[in-house]
Amino acid sequence: MSLVTEIQEIAAQYPQSRSAIMPALHLAQKKYGWLPREAFEEVGEALGLTPAYCMSVASFYDMYHLEPVGTHIVEVCTNISCALVGAQATLEAFERELGIRPGETTADGEVTLRTVECYGGCGWGPVVAVDQRYHEPVKPEDVPRLVQDLRNA
Amino acid sequence: MSMPELVRVTIDEKDVHVAKGTGLVETALSAGIEIPVFCYEPRLGAPIGACRMCLVEIEGMPKLQAGCTLTAQDGMVVRTARTSSKAAEGQNATLEFILVNHPLDCPVCDKGGECPLQDLTFRYGPGKTRMNFEKTTFEKPIPISPAISLDRERCILCYRCTRFSEAVSEDGQLVARNRGAMSVITTFEDEPYSGPFTGNVTELCPVGALLPTQYRFEARPWEIVDVPTVCGMCPVGCNTHATVREGKVKRVISRNHPEIDEGWLCDKGRFAFTHLRAADRVVEPIHRVRRRGFEPVSWPEALDVAESLLKAADGRAVVALSGSETVEEAYALAKLMRQGLGSHHAVLPEEVSAGLDAYRLPLSAIGDAQTVVVLGDVPLNESAPIVDLWVRAARRKGATIVQTADDPAVSSTERVVLIWSGPGGRGGARVGELAERLGLAGKDGCGAFYIPATPNGRGVADAWAACSDEEPAREPDSIGLLVVSGDEAAGNPNVRALAERAEAVIVISMFHGLAAGWADLVLPGTSYLERDGTYVNLEGRLQRLRQTATPPGPTELEWISQLAARFHVEIPPYASAVFAELSKRCYGGLSFGEVGERAPLRGYVEAPVHVEVPPVPEPAEEPPSGTGLHLVAYKPLFSGPAVERVPELQFQRPQAEIELSPDDARTRGIANGDRVVVSAGGVSVELRARVSKDLRAGVARVALEHSGGLLGNVEVAPAGAGVTA
Amino acid sequence: MPEHHVVLAGAEERPLTAIADYRAAGGYAQLAKARQMEPQQVIQELLDSNLRGRGGAFFATGRKASFIPRDSAKPVYLTVNADESEPGTFKDREIMLRVPHRLIEGCLITAHAIHSKNVFIYIRGEYLAEFEILRAALDEARAADLFDGVTVVLHRGAGAYICGEETGLLESLEGKRGQPRSKPPFPAISGLYASPTLINNVETVATVPKVLELGAAEYAKIGPPDSTGTRVFSLSGNVARGGNYELVNGTTLRELIYDFGGGIPDGRELKAIIPGGSSTPILTASEVDTPLDYDALTKAGTMFGSGAIIAIDDRCCMVQLGLRVAQFYMHESCGKCTPCRVGTRWMVQILHALEDGSAKQGDLDLLLDVCDRILGKCLCPLGDAAAMPVASYVNRFRKEFQEHIDHGACPYGGASSLEHVFAPVDQHHHSPVAAEVPV
Repeated sequence: MSLVTEIQEIAAQYPQSRSAIMPALHLAQKKYGWLPREAFEEVGEALGLTPAYCMSVASFYDMYHLEPVGTHIVEVCTNISCALVGAQATLEAFERELGIRPGETTADGEVTLRTVECYGGCGWGPVVAVDQRYHEPVKPEDVPRLVQDLRNA
Repeated sequence: MSMPELVRVTIDEKDVHVAKGTGLVETALSAGIEIPVFCYEPRLGAPIGACRMCLVEIEGMPKLQAGCTLTAQDGMVVRTARTSSKAAEGQNATLEFILVNHPLDCPVCDKGGECPLQDLTFRYGPGKTRMNFEKTTFEKPIPISPAISLDRERCILCYRCTRFSEAVSEDGQLVARNRGAMSVITTFEDEPYSGPFTGNVTELCPVGALLPTQYRFEARPWEIVDVPTVCGMCPVGCNTHATVREGKVKRVISRNHPEIDEGWLCDKGRFAFTHLRAADRVVEPIHRVRRRGFEPVSWPEALDVAESLLKAADGRAVVALSGSETVEEAYALAKLMRQGLGSHHAVLPEEVSAGLDAYRLPLSAIGDAQTVVVLGDVPLNESAPIVDLWVRAARRKGATIVQTADDPAVSSTERVVLIWSGPGGRGGARVGELAERLGLAGKDGCGAFYIPATPNGRGVADAWAACSDEEPAREPDSIGLLVVSGDEAAGNPNVRALAERAEAVIVISMFHGLAAGWADLVLPGTSYLERDGTYVNLEGRLQRLRQTATPPGPTELEWISQLAARFHVEIPPYASAVFAELSKRCYGGLSFGEVGERAPLRGYVEAPVHVEVPPVPEPAEEPPSGTGLHLVAYKPLFSGPAVERVPELQFQRPQAEIELSPDDARTRGIANGDRVVVSAGGVSVELRARVSKDLRAGVARVALEHSGGLLGNVEVAPAGAGVTA
Repeated sequence: MPEHHVVLAGAEERPLTAIADYRAAGGYAQLAKARQMEPQQVIQELLDSNLRGRGGAFFATGRKASFIPRDSAKPVYLTVNADESEPGTFKDREIMLRVPHRLIEGCLITAHAIHSKNVFIYIRGEYLAEFEILRAALDEARAADLFDGVTVVLHRGAGAYICGEETGLLESLEGKRGQPRSKPPFPAISGLYASPTLINNVETVATVPKVLELGAAEYAKIGPPDSTGTRVFSLSGNVARGGNYELVNGTTLRELIYDFGGGIPDGRELKAIIPGGSSTPILTASEVDTPLDYDALTKAGTMFGSGAIIAIDDRCCMVQLGLRVAQFYMHESCGKCTPCRVGTRWMVQILHALEDGSAKQGDLDLLLDVCDRILGKCLCPLGDAAAMPVASYVNRFRKEFQEHIDHGACPYGGASSLEHVFAPVDQHHHSPVAAEVPV
């Protein structure tokens, strides 16, 4: 099924098709890995919106990538609860292990590292999400294994 | 309609009575009290309360409220910054925040001196800054189109521009990107912001963030005069101000006529004025001298030549008119030709009809209609763009928009408005007949519009008819002299064909490109921005044009007056005097002064008798047959001699594409963006397909300049079909 | 005192994700009962129970439901706010993971109470596992024919704190940027698609079946009169056993932190407590005996908020805490209204200067004044949510803030637990354009 058709089926759940833009962008991102120009054009076509509108909406939300990202994404929560229990050390362990700074992607295009705001795992921090799956808690000593798993994946 | 309920609101201890639900900003205004605003703009839809400039104290509410989002309720007690220190503190805080990142580059900002942010800072803002950190910086200014530049540092994110794009022009191109402090205004992938109405955002912007590139560093507010006039670029006649500095037009801005344009102006009306300074502008008369070619001559010499050409024609002169002449200019020309020379034949720019005069409404009535029927297939935003905005406004308010070629079924209790936009309308006669069949006569809020091809076709026809009781003559067997008045006539192939048969040709034109090569005498034409006089718009509304800029030579009226004197015809060189003479014959004796700055829709007291036959033939309508589609080739908004001479508008010229209805595209296996071949009678053009939901099945649409001369029945097929590699 | 399970009841041993298990624990019985009742009766039960919204505003649930017009010509919508994002808060997540059907049952009962046939559950995009569990539970409930003509749409967010604000949520659900709307009109009159809309938090909705089960009168007996019932408190920060604890309202902070949470680890001392999520004003260690209920917390100068308690030990620099909180709100400001968009960034700049020792005398007052100029002037509560806590840090720990200015450096000398924490706002964000916004 084409992306456009798939989106239009989702849109049928809503009283107004525009409401389907978020699931549509999630789908488009799954297809492309991020949201390139074509993604906005397809979402726009499916929902009768301009690509500019779709881009504007996407850019409001942190989970949509308007620039290319790695195959895998490591997200480290550095909000206060996690930070109080060592999130920065965990983040730095990832930086060392991956050789990149937050916001960057490894040269081989495999892993993007970024910090995120509260992921709602505060009681079990530091919280790390790898490809949207939570790991709680992640201590610096856990990082090499996590990265190894990613590389092997 | 019942009277609205009046409520009492106390603002700064002053009582006012307003209709319940009146916006608080307007309520305060009626008490002579300002509630300052940035983001509030009622024409953009519901208020959003974003900028927080309008904070006021409302009795019974603990927090300051955004005044712009509230409406008048009985017994409401409001305190603005004048009487509430809390409100004053709130407004002061808002301005402090806005200025935190706003650069202090007012001395080099084109908005400086006419900037709401400057004015409100002066009245309500902090005297000095407490912000000692680095301000947000951006690359600046960046073009969001060739016509508009964006300075993101100056932007205060009031979202007026994006709301316009989303909710007024509905083009959805100008949007906000990112969130919070990182938000910026942008277009998709930095594509130019295009469409008929983009320039309006430069007027909506309350700071110097969105500015017209044409005006960059052109003038300061204390050096300019805003001259009220009317746009002459299309039959709508939007009310405008021409900003003039030292006799030159520096920009054109809107001048809100609530019944016509609501303060919106299309980009052609706004940006095309630089055609006044076109490189090929004809600034002096040119005479073709045998063997020597074309040479400039003085005005007295030129009038001598004209006089002898007119005399030589001996009553066999024909005038081809453009429809862009003022009523007065057309009358003067008509009087010279008809009374002075006895030449009664004219090639009028288009057919006009009084058949619509019983169904006249202001354009704003479209916005209030419950059903809007659009007949004909020329897009309104190409033929009369403001009309398109009114139709969109009606749709947003819940009206049904019907696009049809047949008699529509309409409810007898609804407010129904008919709009004819396309060929075959016989100057409005046909839509008038339809209105009669539907019984719209005299019904409140019901009426009909016809979109003419020229800005003042009706006025020109009025003038031609008014100056002689002689029946309009048939075309003489031999044409002694063809007088071509104006650029549209000069560019008309039918007129060119007539010129082939004429013994001599006088062309009145603004541009060498149109005048050169075929005229024995070229007389410099002027623009609507350079003339005094009146126009009749598509509503049948008589409006006043003013001379905003100094033309390179005498205006048409001035030299026609001199030329006419040589034939003992008296024509005053002033529009007011000419109008006084013709008004008795067509406009119920209205005086020039009474036409008004914001002219009311008076309607015709007694319409002058017009010529019956359209001298410039229109292509006949033929129903599509077989597998063919009916091709409508329309004159795009962004075309014509003026637009061609404005660099900032070139990106707006139509693409080489053909619009197809979704049905017709599907049955032919054509997708949006595909290359297609359009053919008829052995002629074919290759174009890109655009699938357009607002097009009827059976009709295809193309801009005239890309039509390859095709018209009527055509075949459309995917390109490459049957071609082997 | 042990935990008092109401919302999480029955899920102690294992999560009640399967409908059979939930039914075995008495699930969906209240739905059947409610459908036998007049809608107004259900609302009356909610009114009598004095249940108040668990999202953060603590508004009376029954009252809010009664604002929905009974004779609406437009459809009525129920929207469940599962966009849990307030830092420190992870209780709704627990509810969705452990008792998803209780949430669904609550949705269907509430929908019945307000004559709604359309329910939307807006779940934050990051909660993928919770989304999957809830989706499966919805499929089960649908298959079990429990919906009775009601449609329930599970809608995933995509990472924006502001969509937890009810009108921001509605905008987002309508497919727009999640920028809050100016009120009035209130959602009860003109909410989703300009129709009457009730927006309730996950925990609130999941409590509804239990209110019916226990009966309003019995439910109202749990906890103090102004804060009836239990809450799932999220405990985090410097505690030995962080996690969710469902306790009777009125339990003291000390009980939660020391008895349930096992106290402050590593031999450190408690320094401060954030009692209701990061937007609430801070309490000092001396206030640890404050009960967790609406009145007591209000009296202590703070708020009940989302029931998220963050314990902070004596290794934490309060300027760094302020900075990190301000960075969060700057990152999450939607950008619509001026004071929040500009003010949060300005706060961050001042706090940065304080922390790196470059602040001048007077900057503390400037910071407080900026907070004050945000407070009560914004379109939605986010600006307040930034200004209130930060101002409280200055007010409660002014000496520590002043030391940063006087010594030209952080008195912790690099040893604070929040030293150099890298906030998302410092990251390249979405576009190169944004990179040009330095903080």
